[in-house]
Amino acid sequence: MSGGSARSLGKGSAPPGPVPEGLIRVYSMRFCPFAKRTLLVLKAKGIGHEVININLKNKPEWFFKKNPFGLVPVLENSQGQVIYESAITCEYLDEAYPGKKLLPDDPYEKACQKMVFELFSKVPPLLLSFLRRQNKEDCSGVKEELHKEFSKLEEVLTNKKTTFFGGSSLSMIDYLIWPWFEWLIALELNECVDHTPNLKLWMEAMMKDPAVSSLFIDPKAFRGFLDLYLQNNLEACDYGL
Amino acid sequence: MTDDATRTLGKGSAPPGPVPEGLIRLYSMRFCPFAHRTRLVLRAKGIRHEVININLRNKPEWYFTKHPFGQIPVLENSKGQLIYESVIACEYLDDAYPGRKLYPYDSYERARQKMLLELFCKILGYQNTIFFGGDCISMIDYLFWPWFERLDVYGIADCVNHTPALRLWIAAMKQDPTVCALLIDKNIFLGFLNLYFQNNPDAFDYGLSC
Repeated sequence: MSGGSARSLGKGSAPPGPVPEGLIRVYSMRFCPFAKRTLLVLKAKGIGHEVININLKNKPEWFFKKNPFGLVPVLENSQGQVIYESAITCEYLDEAYPGKKLLPDDPYEKACQKMVFELFSKVPPLLLSFLRRQNKEDCSGVKEELHKEFSKLEEVLTNKKTTFFGGSSLSMIDYLIWPWFEWLIALELNECVDHTPNLKLWMEAMMKDPAVSSLFIDPKAFRGFLDLYLQNNLEACDYGL
Repeated sequence: MTDDATRTLGKGSAPPGPVPEGLIRLYSMRFCPFAHRTRLVLRAKGIRHEVININLRNKPEWYFTKHPFGQIPVLENSKGQLIYESVIACEYLDDAYPGRKLYPYDSYERARQKMLLELFCKILGYQNTIFFGGDCISMIDYLFWPWFERLDVYGIADCVNHTPALRLWIAAMKQDPTVCALLIDKNIFLGFLNLYFQNNPDAFDYGLSC
């Protein structure tokens, strides 16, 4: 897992060279849940890749040439083509590379996965605001909203009567939403899914997936990172290295 | 007359029956830009369809069985499968129906189109104040305006559950003295376009009295 655990590049760093033939490069950050989506798909599909971590609190000037928004993840291939926006990178990898397809071929089933993705979309900002408040104000309002969003996901699993969001086996939608649930585990907030039993079972099933378990976030490192990140500390992204 | 020129269904209306085999149904509203996307794709691909317009201020009770929040557009096929969110509906149509593919075949080109769409959505989302630059009109508003003025000639209007901020912005822009002074007359603009697309060299002088 070279590169995945490398120090991040920050302001003043030299821009990396072109991507070697046969590899695809992902600009990432070890604790970014959006970049985690792309890493999960790369691993699940066995795609040869290299990782360059970016210091998101001190971004290199050259990085804005890769993505004008300056966000990770970004894919760059040996043709110099650049793809950003996490969901778009994941879909690109599924289409461009052979092997197991993570998105279904059936147009309706594919549309269903995208509708579940929309259903999930309120969770990332909610979870982030929940974490920002943890030590300060009362976060019961945010917690209630989180419960509401989780109930929507619970309803999907209940209606489908399958373990995973796309059916009886793990597929794209599961990987796309997983990183935030990984946060719940790392921060010992499992009680958030106490009232959503199918979601709880789904989490347990996800933990058994080889891609998920090999990339599972280290809880101690994550907590250390989060502390520093919320204080805007420039060293946050390299915590634990 | 377009195929969606029918009265809306509102509260108290009878739910429509199942979708006939060989057709796909679109729940829509004639002035909604999001539903417009789906109507464009249906037409571009020559997909046989029927349109049911929904009264968005007085939604039928049965409509919430089609969409949990009663939004449009929604596609319903003869198997009773429902697809919503305009972009998802458009992609579904491109995938499910034969003929001309609207998304490119090349994976990178597909990704590029999706990245462009994200950019567009960010423009719509960048507003958290009346004007794009803050509480007063500024450069960015003038730089965007010409395109929106032209779109406004065709009528963005009404169904703006998703873009109330944009509607407010258009209204606010029209109150700016500079924008007002240079506002294109709708009929003159349409007259110009008409001649322009016929490659008529007189297009550019359309509407001038001398």
